[in-house]
Amino acid sequence: MIRRAGIGYQRPGLQPLFELRQVTQQFGGLNALSQIDLKIFPGECVALIGSSGAGKSTLLQLLNGTLRPTSGEVWVLGHNLGNLSSRRLRQVQRQIGTIYQQLHLVNNLRVIHNVNAGHLGRWPFFKALLSLLLPLEVETAAKALTQVGIPEKLYDRTDCLSGGQQQRVALARVLVQDPVAILADEPISSLDPELSREVMDLLRTLCQQAGRTLVVSLHDVAFAHSHCDRIIGLRQGQMVFDAPSFQVSLEMLADLYRLTAPL
Amino acid sequence: MTMVPARPSLLTPPVLWGLASLAAIALSLAAAGLFQQELFNPGGLPQLGRFFRASLQPDLSREMLQLTVQASLVTLAYAVCGTFLSLLLGLLGGVVMSEVWWQAVLPQRRQLQPPPIWFGLRAFLAVPRAIHEVIWGLFFLNLWGLDPLTAILAIALPYGAIVAKVFSEILDETPRQPLQALLNSGAPPFSAFCYSLLPQAFLNLLSYSFYRFECAIRSAAVLGIIGAGGLGYQMLLSLQSLRYEQLWTFFYAMFVLNGLVDFSSAWLRRRWGCASRLDLNASAAPTTRTIASNTPSFAVYQPLNQGLALLLVGLIAFCFWYIQPDFSKLWAPRTGQLLTDLLHACWPPDWSQGWQLVKLSADTVAMSVLAIALSATVGLLLAFPAAHNFFLPGGLLNPTAGKNASLLPQILFLLSRAILLMGRAIPAPIWALVVLFVLFPGILPGAIALALHNLGILGRLMAEVIENLDQRPLLALQTTGAPASLVFLYGVLPLTMPRFLSYSLYRWEVCMRETVIVGLVGAGGLGRLLTEQLSSFDYQGLMATLTCFLVLTFGVDWVSASARRSLR
Repeated sequence: MIRRAGIGYQRPGLQPLFELRQVTQQFGGLNALSQIDLKIFPGECVALIGSSGAGKSTLLQLLNGTLRPTSGEVWVLGHNLGNLSSRRLRQVQRQIGTIYQQLHLVNNLRVIHNVNAGHLGRWPFFKALLSLLLPLEVETAAKALTQVGIPEKLYDRTDCLSGGQQQRVALARVLVQDPVAILADEPISSLDPELSREVMDLLRTLCQQAGRTLVVSLHDVAFAHSHCDRIIGLRQGQMVFDAPSFQVSLEMLADLYRLTAPL
Repeated sequence: MTMVPARPSLLTPPVLWGLASLAAIALSLAAAGLFQQELFNPGGLPQLGRFFRASLQPDLSREMLQLTVQASLVTLAYAVCGTFLSLLLGLLGGVVMSEVWWQAVLPQRRQLQPPPIWFGLRAFLAVPRAIHEVIWGLFFLNLWGLDPLTAILAIALPYGAIVAKVFSEILDETPRQPLQALLNSGAPPFSAFCYSLLPQAFLNLLSYSFYRFECAIRSAAVLGIIGAGGLGYQMLLSLQSLRYEQLWTFFYAMFVLNGLVDFSSAWLRRRWGCASRLDLNASAAPTTRTIASNTPSFAVYQPLNQGLALLLVGLIAFCFWYIQPDFSKLWAPRTGQLLTDLLHACWPPDWSQGWQLVKLSADTVAMSVLAIALSATVGLLLAFPAAHNFFLPGGLLNPTAGKNASLLPQILFLLSRAILLMGRAIPAPIWALVVLFVLFPGILPGAIALALHNLGILGRLMAEVIENLDQRPLLALQTTGAPASLVFLYGVLPLTMPRFLSYSLYRWEVCMRETVIVGLVGAGGLGRLLTEQLSSFDYQGLMATLTCFLVLTFGVDWVSASARRSLR
């Protein structure tokens, strides 16, 4: 059992941004995650790898409060998510930006509204309503779109954009949300290698610039090595290893992608 | 320095359409005489009170229940036989009306437009479609009297034309590569169709057929109003003799019948994984038709499906046996004689009432506009509580409801569903008669009656849109910490609105055709003139009125189609 869990990452005096304590998540009778202990500290760039169904998406959904664990505790920014009212939960969620695997954008809205959706955690109802009719805070949106490289698409309809451009819109939304942490659920799984590199570079830069924490699930191990400083390997809901990127060896990876765990 | 593109004009086509429809609604309200003339008749209030009180004590005597069961069976049988024939007509018509069929038959013309006969067919089939079942019924009544044949063909003919149009569209939208492969290997067009396009499109065709059957149940009830028998006829008799207790017995029978048909059709569609039965935006949003991986998909050879098919064949056979339509009348010499007499009596159309026709046409359009505006608004409001994934615990706007959840969402759910069912189960002419208790005859009572009936249909369609909504964009909004109201504003509303609007526009076309049936009971518009001309055997005047009606129908269809195109 290779588990160098987190020991090297315990920095005294620093509070973890995300913490899972003995978390188990079941769907029906199936254990999607079992008995996970995990700490992620501010400024870290963490990759989650493992085959499909290993529990990567589930873990991210626990971190952003979409799922409540079957047992165990999820702590984010010093709050136990299980004890929060839905109002307080939303206040914590505002601090976490999520980018999804399939593009979770509202297709028939213009790009500007999808980007402005990043404000929704802060905006009062009437401001949001008005902005749908007459776009507000256009400068901020345009700046975010410039950062991701598609400033000219501001007023285009989202479904007229290519897959790579839509992924950039999702990034711009997260920038407008301005969170302290970004969770990305296979952000490059539907992109070609060239675009994948660009999007990963962007994610990395956007986090480094503002000292944001990044947790990204990936299928491509090479990108985990090149863009992240810590890699967590998941297999069938179990954490197989948790180590700095440079320590993750080919044997560890071969072991991770084995079909069944040895007894 | 960031570059900000110029803000595009606010007057986009959808906005312009919105302004135009607001103007149309305002004009229609003016035409209905709002604020100008006495509309409300307080003298009818006690009557209305009696009507509603009777809902609590329907007549449940033994003879009454027997009569109800018989009448329900007649209505069901009309719907089943009518739908069956219309599907036969529609399948044939759908194949010959589809572009892909002509490309298969005349491969040398593949690069060119379809042959002239194709355009001819399309234009020819637009006429039966534009005329409401009840007018067909009145026409056949002159030929065959009160034979069940009249009712069945009154449904089969216009429905056949509608089904043919929709089937041809479905066939044209189905991927053609498999067909092409068969044709290229030398298969004759008809066999190639049977081995590629038809099985490919089968689910969509079947799903639409069930929707047609749901509509046919309601049409069959309406046909009762002109004397064809069944629940509609019994309702009219009870209402005219002011026996509200009996009326409510028939109402409840109609709820049960409609509820059963709607429920089983929805169940079958879910089972076979066809989510949407009437996909008006099919080409705009192809993803909505994808079958969810966890739904059991359709297989002809599954025992349950075989059982269902057997049951269906049995039902159709039983229905034909139960009402015994006299098909020999179709080719009886007397029919031909009557038909020539009738055509002679109709020709030439009498345009002497020209100016009145124009005024009544305007009234009719105003009635349809008010009806759809009202039913779309109320239908929309009821659709959200009626969708099972919205306010209910675990729904979109109520994700975290725990043990202490209130019962309110469940109550709202059942109540809104009941209102929608009641709206659509009761035929529009019956609603019109009820509304006429308290409103003076005119555009408004007709519009309200049509709205009451259509909101039931529209509300259900909209609830289905909400239930089939793609959840992922909403989830993404929720995780940014947006409160439910803003998830609604930035996610639910933009995702559903195009479909809501396109359903409403589609129902507007139907409302336009239905103005005739509320006119029959005196609600105003061209329908009322039509009734007067019918009862005074003024066939030449009738012809002129019908022509007006056709022109209006095509006009409304055209406007609605252009609006829907620009809303995609």
